[in-house]
Amino acid sequence: MTHLTSETFDANARAALTDTQLRGALRKATSLFGERRLEATKSLPNWEDLRSQARAIKDETLLHLDGYLEQFESNATQAGAQIHWARDAAEANSIVCRLARERNARLAVKSKSMATEEIHLNAALEAEGIEALETDLGEYIIQLAGETPSHIIAPAIHKTKGQIAELFVDKLGIERTSDVSKLTSTARQILRAKFGAADIGISGVNFGVAETGTILILENEGNIRLTTSLPKTHIAVMGIEKVIPSFANLEVFLKLLPRSGTGQHLTSYQSLITGTKRRPEDEGPDELHIILLDNGRSRMLARAVTRQSLACIRCGACLNACPVYQQVGGHAYGSVYPGPIGAVITPQLFGLAKAAQLPYASSLCGACREVCPVKIDIPELLLYLRAKITEGPERQEAGGGWQEEGPAKRRRLEHLAFKIWAAVMTRPRLYEWNGKLLRVFQRFIVRGGKIGKVGGVLTMIAPPLGAWTKARDLRPIDARSFRERWRETNGFGDD
Amino acid sequence: MIRADQLASDARVAILNSIRAHLAESALHEHAAEDRKSERAAENQPTSIALASSGPDVARSPVETFREKLEMVGGHCVVVRDEAEAARSLSRILAELQTTPLRARRIALSDAPSVSRLIKAAEIEVDELTTSPNAADLFGYDVGVTTAQAAIAETGTLVLESESERHRLVSLLPPVHIAIIKAEDICLTLGDALRYVRRGGQPGMSRAITFITGPSRTADIELTLTIGVHGPQELYVIVCM
Ligand code: SF4
Repeated sequence: MTHLTSETFDANARAALTDTQLRGALRKATSLFGERRLEATKSLPNWEDLRSQARAIKDETLLHLDGYLEQFESNATQAGAQIHWARDAAEANSIVCRLARERNARLAVKSKSMATEEIHLNAALEAEGIEALETDLGEYIIQLAGETPSHIIAPAIHKTKGQIAELFVDKLGIERTSDVSKLTSTARQILRAKFGAADIGISGVNFGVAETGTILILENEGNIRLTTSLPKTHIAVMGIEKVIPSFANLEVFLKLLPRSGTGQHLTSYQSLITGTKRRPEDEGPDELHIILLDNGRSRMLARAVTRQSLACIRCGACLNACPVYQQVGGHAYGSVYPGPIGAVITPQLFGLAKAAQLPYASSLCGACREVCPVKIDIPELLLYLRAKITEGPERQEAGGGWQEEGPAKRRRLEHLAFKIWAAVMTRPRLYEWNGKLLRVFQRFIVRGGKIGKVGGVLTMIAPPLGAWTKARDLRPIDARSFRERWRETNGFGDD
Repeated sequence: MIRADQLASDARVAILNSIRAHLAESALHEHAAEDRKSERAAENQPTSIALASSGPDVARSPVETFREKLEMVGGHCVVVRDEAEAARSLSRILAELQTTPLRARRIALSDAPSVSRLIKAAEIEVDELTTSPNAADLFGYDVGVTTAQAAIAETGTLVLESESERHRLVSLLPPVHIAIIKAEDICLTLGDALRYVRRGGQPGMSRAITFITGPSRTADIELTLTIGVHGPQELYVIVCM
């Protein structure tokens, strides 16, 4: 399941739709998160202003991203952190593996991080013989099950407590229980021992402050505090878009993020870490390594429309609001990033060819745009990506990336079809003859009074036309046309 | 080593160049759009952010607001007049805990002088009292007692600065955390607290600052709220007027 299956969204979605347990869980989760979010936004009179401010801060940062990253680097370094730059997943993984090897590390504890999921860091570490253990309860569960997260905020919402109990009996050898707090305390006991023994702690980053070199990480469980304070070495993987200019900017984002994600006014813990400890006898790791990860992000800067994808603060609100996500869940998207935001960043990060169905996994209702705390216009992005897909692979690959733009190049057949259509529609006699002709030919494809998927003859003889009838029926052309009837009842024609 | 360093600087240059090249491309293609964008950014200069906090929440006294918000997220709050009363309330909390499965027999203390003072005055019967036990031993303690350097009234949040006190692990590993804070250290808003912790800029900031709002929690199994997953399951705050 760790491989990208976004090519097959349609099939994945179809499978998910038959899973009633999954759909029940999704309904419960998305509506609960949605209600809580709404409630929480009402607690702030100036919610809309905050959204505009957050977006303005992100826009300004992204337009000067090089400068802010350099500032972040120099301030974090000043405070004792070591900064590494990684162009892609392989480079990031090799840096982490090298750091681990140099420290003879055998066990790394990890806290939830989308960036490390994105680069499949666990697999890379395991290939080196280093155990990488997820410590967020939800992530721990899905790691035990060998699955991938299905929601940004609640990775294991697709699993019932029965399934989780089963898993714990199976893998951890506990006695069967359906008591959620017993399951939780089992995980707590096992993971505490691991925290005590880990050589390295690996985390993500929610915000990196250029002005002070501080990284901020939010959580509810406390595993991030443990990950970032117990092991001797802390490695943080940070997408380059996570940087913000000033420490004071944190206020806006700390108000928006928890409220949008879980409806909390603040999550239980925020860790604000600036470099390493000042005196060796202080608490905390000896070393802090921050890996700045590009992996396809910098090329999104090339257009305003794609650049906004980098403003995302990964709150998960758009997932909960999306009528498609609500029905099919996270796994159908086949990417570490599911839901509306996943549908737009998966193709941008990993290539349009790998995720060509995702931009269509939307009804364009706009619910995602409505809830997004940084006002990302996801429908606009979806349409932009659809246009790219329609332009065809020649255009997408030109110039080293799919960004390259040119005049829309319609497929030749489509062009021809429209030419013929125009010719027929502007010539009444031709139109009438054409109707007669079609009436003769349709005899071969009509089944039971309709042209549909039963029999599916149209699909077989003309696939592009047949695509329309895959999910619905087409009415056959009537035995007599309107014009013929008009002539009969009124006794005069128009030509 | 030379190869690794070389690679590292290559990546740095490549990423920064890629950022610059793509931004330049954007500027070329979207002159008009860019103008609109920067106007919008200018309108919304993030300077008026401080205003964002003044909601109806903070109309009452900071202490009352703090207590109310903390209780809303499952924390306990006791407001006392002086240190003597704080000591009495500390011993009451510990005595109560001793009747529960949380035991409260082994107590870990941070190195704040006021914590040792208080614990002495509290006259409690426990198996062990240790100031700043090392990390490996801390897993076995029942209660951690610390102070907090500040708090946020509007969210019921404690603010711990690593350079004021050794409380990073004492506040995290034992299943119960008891924090003592002076009423005058409670900020009204999140914005105030952020300004407080970054006073004097980076050189003056603690290297690890922790915001704590209630006990540790998760809802990862069927959205069932469970308290105390990796961090403390009980949080007590004694506010000293
Ligand atoms: S796109 Fe917006 S709503 Fe969706 S996860 Fe990102 S910030 Fe949240």
